[in-house]
Amino acid sequence: MIKQLIHACTSAIFKRNKFRYYLRDRHIRDTTFAALDLELTSLEAASSHITSIGYVAGRAGHISLASSGYHIIKTNGDLGQSPVIHGLTQDILSEGEDIAEGLAAVSSLFKDNILLFHNARLDLMALNSAFKQCQLPQIEITYIDTLQLALYQLNKQHQVLPNNSATLTVCRQRLDLPAFPAHNALDDALATLQLFFAQLNELGITQEDTLETLLHTKAVGSYQLG
Amino acid sequence: MTAMAKQVEDFLNTSAPLDTLDSEQKLQLVKHADLIYVTADIVAELQQGAPALFLIQSGQFSVQDSDAPLRHLSEGDYFGYASIMEKRPFSLNISVDSPGLVYRFDAAVIEPLFEDTAIRHFFDGLRNNALQNHAISDTNSMWLYKGLSDVIEKSPVSVEEITSISAAAQLMTEQKVSSLLVTKEDKLIGIVTDRDLRSRVVATSLDTSLSVDHIMTPNPAQIMGNRTLFDALALMTERNIHHLPVIDHQSLVPLGMVTASDIIRHQRGNVLFIIGELSKAENLYELTRLSWQLPHYFSAHAKKAGDYDIAGKILSQATDIMTRKLIGFFQQDNGKAPMMFSWLVYGSQAREDQTMGSDQDNGLLLANRPTESQADYFAAMAEYVCNGLAKCGIKLCDGNIMASNPTLRLSLDEAVEEAKQWVNAPTKDAIMHFNIFLDVRCAAGDVSLFKQLQKRRAPLMQQNMFLAALARHSNEISVPLSMFQKFIYEKAKNDKRKEKDVIDLKTRAVALINNIARIYALADGISLPNTLARLDALSSNSQLSKRDAANLRDIWLFLNRLRWRHQLENKVTDNRVSVSMLSSIEKHQLKAAFKAIDRTNQAMVMKFSGGIS
Repeated sequence: MIKQLIHACTSAIFKRNKFRYYLRDRHIRDTTFAALDLELTSLEAASSHITSIGYVAGRAGHISLASSGYHIIKTNGDLGQSPVIHGLTQDILSEGEDIAEGLAAVSSLFKDNILLFHNARLDLMALNSAFKQCQLPQIEITYIDTLQLALYQLNKQHQVLPNNSATLTVCRQRLDLPAFPAHNALDDALATLQLFFAQLNELGITQEDTLETLLHTKAVGSYQLG
Repeated sequence: MTAMAKQVEDFLNTSAPLDTLDSEQKLQLVKHADLIYVTADIVAELQQGAPALFLIQSGQFSVQDSDAPLRHLSEGDYFGYASIMEKRPFSLNISVDSPGLVYRFDAAVIEPLFEDTAIRHFFDGLRNNALQNHAISDTNSMWLYKGLSDVIEKSPVSVEEITSISAAAQLMTEQKVSSLLVTKEDKLIGIVTDRDLRSRVVATSLDTSLSVDHIMTPNPAQIMGNRTLFDALALMTERNIHHLPVIDHQSLVPLGMVTASDIIRHQRGNVLFIIGELSKAENLYELTRLSWQLPHYFSAHAKKAGDYDIAGKILSQATDIMTRKLIGFFQQDNGKAPMMFSWLVYGSQAREDQTMGSDQDNGLLLANRPTESQADYFAAMAEYVCNGLAKCGIKLCDGNIMASNPTLRLSLDEAVEEAKQWVNAPTKDAIMHFNIFLDVRCAAGDVSLFKQLQKRRAPLMQQNMFLAALARHSNEISVPLSMFQKFIYEKAKNDKRKEKDVIDLKTRAVALINNIARIYALADGISLPNTLARLDALSSNSQLSKRDAANLRDIWLFLNRLRWRHQLENKVTDNRVSVSMLSSIEKHQLKAAFKAIDRTNQAMVMKFSGGIS
């Protein structure tokens, strides 16, 4: 029993260190960041379905607009209030692609890139269940959550955080980024990538630094899909 | 698959001249574009890259991209185009004043776009730092050149070809029209007029249950909705017809009908008509009734840029006529004036750039110092005319610059003496006070008296000390642009209207051009009050170059259009134009205009005040 516990602890520490070393080897300059956004039928991870996926990639402050992609996914589940928010109605969704095709299209992003999410937890859980549903091989990804980065900055300035102070729109306003049309997966992904570059600048992290400099913000993590 | 994010599309759609590209061109452009978050950290890399066109979406940068001096740039500004246009690499130097998003388009995708004249012209304009003025040349006389789609008021009254003659006639009676469009699958195939009903139905006792295609005129003459009233008039005269169907130039769906009576109605809207009617007015009541139609007349008829150019002149002429009429009415009741006089007008009325909000600025010039009874006569006349003008819709002057003010009823000698005082002691307060009197015109009374005054005053006002003081005064207003060439907006005046981004074009820009034109004109001995006429009349000895004068003229017209459009569209009388209501090309032009005004103003201050300000 105790042995097991010690083993679990050491392996956790080891894993943590391994992750640290992994990040230490990666310079910001050479890292491609792929921002990903999923629109879901509900905020309940267990029952929600993916209705659309948007993504765009960039490196060293440069966002290549040619890399942007947008996929509408065929969904049969209950849409709930989501058509009101995302504008994707049942008619549009029935024309969409199968989730497997959508995942195949984005799977190239998972290799080598660091994924960016604004609020990673929900999107990762939805991705995970989609991976399982399609019986895709397991894959370990590294991600950065721009929401956590924003909270890290905000907690330095505030004792108690004001309501809605870390939404994508508000975070962007704080860094003087232009207004954008929210609630479309591609626009949210592009907005997230821009926000991330601006956050790096705000944190004083340069192209010469490594990803390890972000570790203490608790915004970096790894996750196993599938 | 490359998809275009909505925010990218939105931004391109507000960025002249890229907004004119079709969606396929935009997609191609985006495929070869990077969106870069430019920080001091990555700027070195940008500077070394291949030639490209950059467009700033946010942030502030100081950029040197050609042989031209360093520029401070922000949202909506381009850089890097010089290298592409001249096909030789200039070194690029960017310093980041505040980080932000910048689009980078490969030179390879931009070069083909430059073959489009409008786009080429836009960047040529930026390169030459000049204002684009392609729209300024189309100053056609307004009324006949109205678009037909503006003229047609009623939606088309039409029937299908299978409708019976009696049903068609009932519809015409119901709709009170004298003609009817006959359609087949929404396309026009014929027309039926009152005359057809008379000659083809009643006269021949035709069965009215037959369908209308038996009596219609098939394949009638027709005109596209994007043509003008003038084109319609020409076609109707040529074919000797009174009804002309108007169809949409793309869908070919009928839009309506132009009739001979429409043309007559629009001719009544002609400027000469209203001015003619004003001069026919026989009493104060008729005059005020006609005058109050002026605003309606402008909002109904002024649609195009060219209309706004002459609108100020028309309004000033109308005000002149009102003044002459009122003086006439007064003399009918009180007898002829006891001595020669000139009715002088100042400010915007003198310059003939009145707008709806302009108030009256006027005064009286008398041949001699009046006796007490003579003075009473002129006091009564001034009172009557100023109040009469107010009744006609020309506001009383808040600053009391009106002939009803006794200090503005001077004899010729007194007026010359007053000018001497201005010239001898051109203090700041004094200039504030008399600036308005330097734009002056005789609107009624004896012109020769006014000419004597001008002749005696001109040499005084050409004196260097005086001009230097005026130039320094002009330098106290600056164009509303920040160091980073961002617009500086007015402070909100009232909370009722949303006034986040307004600029008072009159005080911040038009007034500056008026100042510049006035000072160069005074130096050149020109007595005309109109700003454009002054710029035009400057001699070859003038220190303002022909090119600058022409540029100022274009800018003045451009600004004037913006404020007239603002007043007519929003039904207001101020000049507080909201920048967000402008098209993106207009925003660019406005910025370019402010920069040009600023340069010319600085140059003028240097020339006349020797740089001491």
